[in-house]
Amino acid sequence: MIITDIYIKNFGMLSEKRMHFSEGLQVLCGENESGKSTLYAFIRAMLFGMERGRGKAAAKDDFTRYEPWENPGYYAGVLRFCCGGKKFRLERDFSRYTKRTLLVCEDDGEELSVEDGDLDMLLGGVTPALYDSTVSIGQLAAAPGQELSAALENYAANLCESGGGDLDVNGALKCLKDRRRETEKKLRAEEDSEEEKHRRILQERTYLERDIKNLADEIEEKNRRLAAGQAPGGPDEKLEAGEAWHYNLPAAMLFAAAVLCFVFGFFFRTVAANEWSSAEAGSVVFVFTALMLAGAGLLFAGAYVYIKDRRRMRIRELEAAREEEDVRIRHILWEKERAQAEMKEKEIRLVNLEDQCPEIEENREKSRLEARLRALRTAEEQLKLAAEELGRQTAESLNEKASDIFAQITDGRYSGLKIGEKLQVSVWDGSRNIPAERLSRGTLEQIYFSVRMAAAEILQEEPLPVILDETFAFYDEKRLESALKWLRGQKKQVIILSCGKREEEIARRL
Amino acid sequence: MWKGAAPGCGVLFATAADRKGNARIMRFIHIADVHLGAKPEAGKAYSGRRPEELWNTFGYIIRLCEKERTDLLLIAGDLFHRQPLLRELKEVDYLFSTLSHTKVVLIAGNHDYIRNDSYYRTFKWSGNVYPLFGKEMECVEFEELHTAVYGLSYYAKEVREPVYNNAVEKGMPDGRQKYEILLAHGGDERHIPIDWKKLEASRFAYVALGHIHKPDAVRKNRIVYSGAPEPVDRGDTGLHGYISGVITEEGVRAVRVCCAVREYIPLDIPVCENDTCGSVREKIKKLKKKYGNNNIYTLTLKGTRDPHIIFDEKQLAGGDEAGNIIAVEDRTCPAYDFGRLYRENEDNLIGKYIKRFSGCEEGSEEYQALCEGVNALLENRR
Repeated sequence: MIITDIYIKNFGMLSEKRMHFSEGLQVLCGENESGKSTLYAFIRAMLFGMERGRGKAAAKDDFTRYEPWENPGYYAGVLRFCCGGKKFRLERDFSRYTKRTLLVCEDDGEELSVEDGDLDMLLGGVTPALYDSTVSIGQLAAAPGQELSAALENYAANLCESGGGDLDVNGALKCLKDRRRETEKKLRAEEDSEEEKHRRILQERTYLERDIKNLADEIEEKNRRLAAGQAPGGPDEKLEAGEAWHYNLPAAMLFAAAVLCFVFGFFFRTVAANEWSSAEAGSVVFVFTALMLAGAGLLFAGAYVYIKDRRRMRIRELEAAREEEDVRIRHILWEKERAQAEMKEKEIRLVNLEDQCPEIEENREKSRLEARLRALRTAEEQLKLAAEELGRQTAESLNEKASDIFAQITDGRYSGLKIGEKLQVSVWDGSRNIPAERLSRGTLEQIYFSVRMAAAEILQEEPLPVILDETFAFYDEKRLESALKWLRGQKKQVIILSCGKREEEIARRL
Repeated sequence: MWKGAAPGCGVLFATAADRKGNARIMRFIHIADVHLGAKPEAGKAYSGRRPEELWNTFGYIIRLCEKERTDLLLIAGDLFHRQPLLRELKEVDYLFSTLSHTKVVLIAGNHDYIRNDSYYRTFKWSGNVYPLFGKEMECVEFEELHTAVYGLSYYAKEVREPVYNNAVEKGMPDGRQKYEILLAHGGDERHIPIDWKKLEASRFAYVALGHIHKPDAVRKNRIVYSGAPEPVDRGDTGLHGYISGVITEEGVRAVRVCCAVREYIPLDIPVCENDTCGSVREKIKKLKKKYGNNNIYTLTLKGTRDPHIIFDEKQLAGGDEAGNIIAVEDRTCPAYDFGRLYRENEDNLIGKYIKRFSGCEEGSEEYQALCEGVNALLENRR
């Protein structure tokens, strides 16, 4: 494919600009801010269109960057090119509202459809990413904090492992890893909830077991109390005990009468004995003595009544106590039975709970997550293996081509470069291998260039124009000359953008 | 095959004619595997009340026995899900005691087997209940029904001896009554294996079986699993109910009657590339409406899906309004045309990756890995 004409209607800082390109090597010189990089971006935008970024990213994407400063509604260009012996005209309108793409074959006037992939076919299936990683060459750029040699190795590794193009092995691997982490997290949560279930059962079991033990203790205690309550002869011995006096009316009256009789008898007997003559006194004394005796008799009677009553009351008390004891024992028995029933109920619940433990249904969600986890692990593993395999294959063919180019550029200073097993880059100076991190910036740039050119040859079916934007800034005269010489030898259109005059001068000399 | 429908609609059973034609006619209802006390998973809407529904349906069958003046209620084991508690036995016995005509014969199955401390050993049943709780074959006779019921109970979770066949070999039944029925539980390797041919050759007029939750006639009108009256786990799909039977001199007629209030229904949800979570939810809703929202569902998403769409199974099951989905399983494959993808990417990493999985079966774990990897690669294009 050869670009013949460019017409920039309005794109970034450039407007109404026409340019003509020929086959072979050509150099475009310009001062800073003369629009070289804009031209570089314009060609890419014409070939592949401009995808708008989304959200925040939109503020920094190419569309915004090159949106014309003046008259932004008019944002378009035309690119004419030859491909397979036919001439084509590609028109694009980038503006927000009138976005449009037109592809016409100028030989027969046929209008082709970009949507249906006609342009992709003309480009030989080269994707924007492949374009960026091969023929469109800026300077080797390192990420902040990254060694330049590391950036070079990264580039080489990804180029080899993904087979060129737009695939990102590390991105895909990271994506798989993230998914694996997420699945692992979910799995852990699932396991936790399962454990929680087991823990709850265990807890309930502990409660039941504790209850059962308490009930067993209670029953034991009841048994002890029952044994103590039924010990023989317990209450009977208390019959004689207890000496408190108590009031008894008949006994008290008898005592009073006895005292009266005795005092009365004794008094009058003494008076009679002194006052009266012995003859009459004899019978009177007899009467009063009898009265005294009667008093003594009454005293005995009173004592008898009192003792008998006291005994009767004692027996009644004891009977009441025994009855109370019976009630108490019945109560204990009843409580014991209740405890036993409760204990049995709890024991059965415990058994049921134990049955339940192994029964907890196999967790479907868990096995599903485990399966996904295994699948993700397999995917990671296989992706790594596939990338390695492809890396080795690509590296082999890349090594040969790139070594050839590199040797020519360095004029035989190095006889080859090598992308090794682990896709690390080193160069061969005839006697030893020098790892990339020991090389100078210029040499790294040259390796980068060689690998890109080699990759372009291997990976692109249709040779696209090589566009070099300030690629040679770090090259010395000698190597620049060798590089340009090599480029001239290629059957490709080469467009060099530079702010210096060196490239132009050397190109003219060649 | 099924008669009747939901509880309350009664049984369509031509008993009047039977009664006229035959003086000696015995009518029975055969149930098994009621699993009282179980807590079946039933989705968030029904899980809470499902245990009660098991009791309700059991109560319904008892009321039915009373209403129809059924002669015999046969309960072929696993009346309880586990060891019955005393209060549960009292509840059941109360229900039995409401039967003025029906005699109840029951055995213990492998779930409610008779442990050393089981209340079954000591419980005093109502007068019309005849438990066959022996370890060896026992028999209860009902002179007025000209019927004898044989049976035994489980004393462990597993019984591997073929005790029913052994009993038959020993000459049981011995013809002591006109109609002889075997009340049995099990039939698989670990729960009293049964040689059906030998059992068929015996003189039992009817074998009322329990243990298998799906109703099944091993021999029509003769050796019958009644199935559970209510399904008790998600595997118990299809209709459930009891067996309504008559024994006359001409033989036995046993008819299934459905009485379960809910059904477990496994459904495949067809999914295509245009579907999203929202449209799948809509599809599920429609299908459930078609099959009835009072049923309980386990769903499987099948077909192909847009590779960018991920169906959240938990969300689909849990976020459902009707709350009657137990689980959703996503078995869809992302709609990758691996053949085409391979041809287009033969030389790059995608091609190499796909090639490593050549010959793997769709739906397998390797296939899942293939999809994941390709998806990751395609999503990370630059």
